[in-house]
Amino acid sequence: MTMPFSPPLVRMQNLHKSYGPEIQVLKGLDIEMKPGERVVVIGPSGGGKSTLLRVMMGLEKIDSGSITFGGKPYISSEGVGRKTVIDTEVRRSIGMVFQHYTLFPHLNVVQNLILAPCKVRGERKAEATERAIALLSRFGLGAKAKAFPAQLSGGQKQRVAIARALMLDPKLMLFDEVTSALDPELVAEVEQVILQLANQNMPMMIVTHDMWFARNIASRVIFCAGGVVVEDGPPEQVLGSPKEERTKDFIERVFHIRQ
Amino acid sequence: MDLNFSVLLRFQDALLLGLWMTIKLTLICMVLGCTLGFLVGLARTSRNVFVRGLSSVYVEFFRGTPVLIQLFWIFFCLPLLLGVELSNLTSGVIALTLYMGAITSETFRASLKSVGPEQLDACVALGLPKRVQVTSVVLPQAVLRAIPTLLSNCVSLFKESALVSAVGMADLMFVGQNISNNTARPVEALTIVALIYFAIAFPLTRAVSIIEARILKKLAI
Repeated sequence: MTMPFSPPLVRMQNLHKSYGPEIQVLKGLDIEMKPGERVVVIGPSGGGKSTLLRVMMGLEKIDSGSITFGGKPYISSEGVGRKTVIDTEVRRSIGMVFQHYTLFPHLNVVQNLILAPCKVRGERKAEATERAIALLSRFGLGAKAKAFPAQLSGGQKQRVAIARALMLDPKLMLFDEVTSALDPELVAEVEQVILQLANQNMPMMIVTHDMWFARNIASRVIFCAGGVVVEDGPPEQVLGSPKEERTKDFIERVFHIRQ
Repeated sequence: MDLNFSVLLRFQDALLLGLWMTIKLTLICMVLGCTLGFLVGLARTSRNVFVRGLSSVYVEFFRGTPVLIQLFWIFFCLPLLLGVELSNLTSGVIALTLYMGAITSETFRASLKSVGPEQLDACVALGLPKRVQVTSVVLPQAVLRAIPTLLSNCVSLFKESALVSAVGMADLMFVGQNISNNTARPVEALTIVALIYFAIAFPLTRAVSIIEARILKKLAI
C-alpha cells in the first residue's frame, strides 16, 4: 500500500556532474524517492547509473544541484569546480554495496562487519560481534565468521558485504551492479538476500543489468540514459510496455540478447 | 693449484667476530632504515610540495649513486661538514641506514599505492573517519604487502654491508680480506666468506618466497 502524501525519503534536484569539460555524466537529474520504495535504475553503460549511486553515497563531487534525505539537506554544490558540501551525519544512514565486494582483505568476516560499528558508533566489541554473528547466520554464513575474504566465493563475499553495510542500520541501501562480477550460478544466492531485505521494506536503490531481478524486486523502475531520467514508472510499465522510444529500444535489445 | 682450507681453521674466532659485526650492523640498519623508509614513503605521498620534493631528492640521490661512494662520502666528508669525528661504526650505520631508507621508502610507497581506491570507497560508505581509514584499513594492508619486498631489501642490505670493510670496519668481509692477506690464500679465504654470506642469505630468500606466497594468498580479494 502506498501512502500518497508521505514526504520523500530522497529528493534529488537538478543534479549535474561532469568529468572534465567534455564528459557530462549527469545532466540535470531529478528523482524523488518515497520511503519503502525499491527503485531499480536501468539503462545503457555510461548513462550515469553508477555515477548516480556514487553521488548519492557522497563518493563523487557534483557540479550543481542538491539532495535532501529524510527532509534534511544532505548534499549541495557551490558550483562547478567548487566544493561539494556533504552532511556526513546524514551519510551514515545510507549503506552501499559495490560490484567488486570491497571487503577488507586483511580482516576476517566478523572483523569486516564490526569495524565500522566499533570505530564509528563506539559499540562494544562483544555486542557488535554478537550482532554480526546473528546477521551472518541469517544470511547462511554462520560457518564463515572466522574466514578471510580470500577464502570465500564471490557470492559469499557479496553477502558479507551486504551484511557489513547492514551492521550500521542504514535507512537506505544502494546496490551498484552487485551481481555483475559473479559467476552465473552464484547470482541467485545474492539476489535472495536482497529480496529478503525487500520483504522487510528496506528502501533501496539498485543499479542492475539483470532484468529478471529488476522485475522481481522493483517497486519502481527508472530508465536513465544520457544523464537524464528518460522514463520512470512501475516495473510492468517500464519493462513491459515502455512509452518512450529509447526505453523500448533498450529493453528490446537487452531481452533479445538474453533469448 | 692446490687448495688448502685447513689453514683457515685457526681464524675461526676472527671469522665469527666478523660475522657478528656484519649481523649487528645489518640488524641496526634494518630497523633504522625501515623506520626511515616508512616515514619517507609517507612523505612522498604528502600533499605538501616541499615535503614531497625533499623526500624525492633524497630517495633519487641515494638510489642513483653507488653505495660505496655514499659510504666514503659520509666517512670522509660528513666529519668535515659537521666538524665532529665519526667512528667507523657510526659512519657505517649512517651510510647503510640512508641507503636502506631510500630503498625501503620505495617499497612502502608502492605498497601504499597498491591499496586501491575502491577500498577507500568502502571506508567512506561505512562512514569511517579519515584516521580510522588510515590506521585500520590502509596501513595494515600496505605493511602486509610490503613485508616480502622488505625482507628482500634486508637480504640486500646484509650483502651490501660488506662495503663497510672499505672504511676499515671489522666486519665479515674485512676479516676475510685480512685472512687472505695474511695467509696468501685469497681463494680459500674469500670462498669461505662467500659461503658464510650465502648460508645466511639463501634461507632468508627462500623464506621470503614462502612468506610472499602466504601473504598474497591471504590478500587476494
